[in-house]
Amino acid sequence: MYFLEKGRKHMAEEIPIVEMRNIKKNFAAVQALCGVDLVLHHNEVLGLVGDNAAGKSTLMKVLSGALTPDGGDIFIEGKKAHIANPWDARRLGIEMVYQDLALANNLDVAANIFMGREAVSTRLGPISVMDKHHMEEETQRQIERLKIDISSVRLKVERLSGGQRQAVAIVRATAFNSKVTIMDEPTAALSVAAIDKVLDLVRELKAQGCSIIIISHRLEDIYRVSDRLMVLRQGRKVLECTVVGDIDEFRERVVAYIIGARDDFAEKKVN
Amino acid sequence: MLFIEDAKKIFEENIREFGMYIMLFVIMATFTILTKGVFISSRNISNLINQTGYIVVLAVGMTLVIIIRHIDLSVGFLSGFLGAVAAIAMVKWHLPVYATIPLILAFGVLAGVATGFLVAQMRIPAFVATLAGWLGYRGALQLATISTGTIIIPNAAFNAICNGFVPDIPDIGILPGVHKLTLIIGILVIIFFITNAIRDRRKTRAYEYRVLPLHFFILKLVFVSVLICGITWVFAGYRGLSWTAVVLMIVLLFYHFITSQTVLGRHIYAVGGNPEAAQLSGISVKKITYVVFCSMGMLAALSGMMFASRLRSATTTAGQLFELDAIAAAFVGGVSMSGGIGKVMGSFIGAFVMMSLTSGMNLMGVDISFQYVVRATVLAAAVVFDVATRGRAK
Repeated sequence: MYFLEKGRKHMAEEIPIVEMRNIKKNFAAVQALCGVDLVLHHNEVLGLVGDNAAGKSTLMKVLSGALTPDGGDIFIEGKKAHIANPWDARRLGIEMVYQDLALANNLDVAANIFMGREAVSTRLGPISVMDKHHMEEETQRQIERLKIDISSVRLKVERLSGGQRQAVAIVRATAFNSKVTIMDEPTAALSVAAIDKVLDLVRELKAQGCSIIIISHRLEDIYRVSDRLMVLRQGRKVLECTVVGDIDEFRERVVAYIIGARDDFAEKKVN
Repeated sequence: MLFIEDAKKIFEENIREFGMYIMLFVIMATFTILTKGVFISSRNISNLINQTGYIVVLAVGMTLVIIIRHIDLSVGFLSGFLGAVAAIAMVKWHLPVYATIPLILAFGVLAGVATGFLVAQMRIPAFVATLAGWLGYRGALQLATISTGTIIIPNAAFNAICNGFVPDIPDIGILPGVHKLTLIIGILVIIFFITNAIRDRRKTRAYEYRVLPLHFFILKLVFVSVLICGITWVFAGYRGLSWTAVVLMIVLLFYHFITSQTVLGRHIYAVGGNPEAAQLSGISVKKITYVVFCSMGMLAALSGMMFASRLRSATTTAGQLFELDAIAAAFVGGVSMSGGIGKVMGSFIGAFVMMSLTSGMNLMGVDISFQYVVRATVLAAAVVFDVATRGRAK
């Protein structure tokens, strides 16, 4: 799991943890994705940007099993994967943090983190008794591991701030040895302080060996945490590059691709 | 001073839960004073439980239905209809009691499957689907009783469910006139409660520092123990535990256990809190909907049999308005219409509040029209209190 010591160059030669090839998806007459490739390496943070309706969320929903593609292949650690629904994706170690958080406000932190995979102490026929202490203890451990500021695992989610909720959603996606975590707009609708905390959390996860894809409108956030960036425009990949250099120069260049002022990436590749 | 501050904090954090118990306490105390002690007498409390056990049973099932954001209007006439079927099974088909009870419960589950099919599979709003059930079961009840009218149930064992009492252990010379088996059960319950609470506290302290301060923990143990002692003593003073009380205890403990300790219960709350999130987490909302409506159907069957047993007969109007009493009990007990919030024990308290009002006002000879107004006020006040305290907690 931990590739901390390895250099970036070396990692690029390894089999990527996720490879999507030529993914196509149509909604009625609209081509949402027209043959998109995506590569995510081990222990890498990949930023995925694009205007509204560029196909970012569609591409990630294909990877997380919420949508089935009309064409293309997905390889997880070099092996061809068939992802027909969210459960398949989860079995392969792909977890998604949804934009609307997908938390149950009426349940406490521990219950949300273990939702759908509760720890069981005893089984009495069809009735499984939960091991609450184990779940609460484990949640406390995860919260400490990621240095998250939540005072009690028994707090109801409805009493948490936006940033804390996002943290709970991220812990939920990463607590169970997931290989890939997809975050859909993790910093949308958060205060500046909360955004910093979420980005710290992303860095912490990377330091601990996670591979992450972040969808975001906020280029600063991508710039601050990502290793690489990919721009989608009208269902096509228009730019893929490593995140380097000055932020202003970076933003200017990326925005040009997002809005379509520049569109020379594909040609460059052919040459 | 620290003690008072702690007390204030604990009270504020749990005001919604405490509010219900305080309301029950105030109502019982008021009636006890107004009726000069008749209300709290062993005999009255015993009767109170026997008369309204069938509503409690429905309220428990309704709690789960409302938690997953649905409603079930059909349960009143369903219980009436299944009570009539139980009577027919014993009188006309000559089935013994031990065969009748599981058979009727199975019919109840089948009715639940039908509702579940409409709601989960066909995606018909539960209000409409169960309104259809309300009409259908009403017709079915009239059809079942059309030839004979009221069906008298001659079976003594069946009628004992809601009229009989648990026999006492043989007299050994101490405490004459007191039901000793009830006392023993009460003591066992207290021991079980205390050991459980201490074990839970020790385990939780390993990782969570926000446990109740020790003096409050002891206070809570003492308070609950005294309460159980009081209830036990009231029961033991008349004829001991009625079979209805036993049935209620089993149903309440079972459902409390399911909702608070099992994966199924957790999933029910998750579906109620956020169905989309639950579905994305791998919980089958459809399956949970089926399970909850089946449990409701089964409890409606149990309720129908309890009512038939209480009246020693199946009548043409059995079950009328039960569903609304059950829904009112659930709301008074803190269940929230928006889903995901509510406890089985809360609904029990809610039902008990409503039945105490009826019983107390009957003892005082209050006119029935006023009784409805008073109950309406209590229901509205309970929900207002609930909404107000929830807004503050956020």
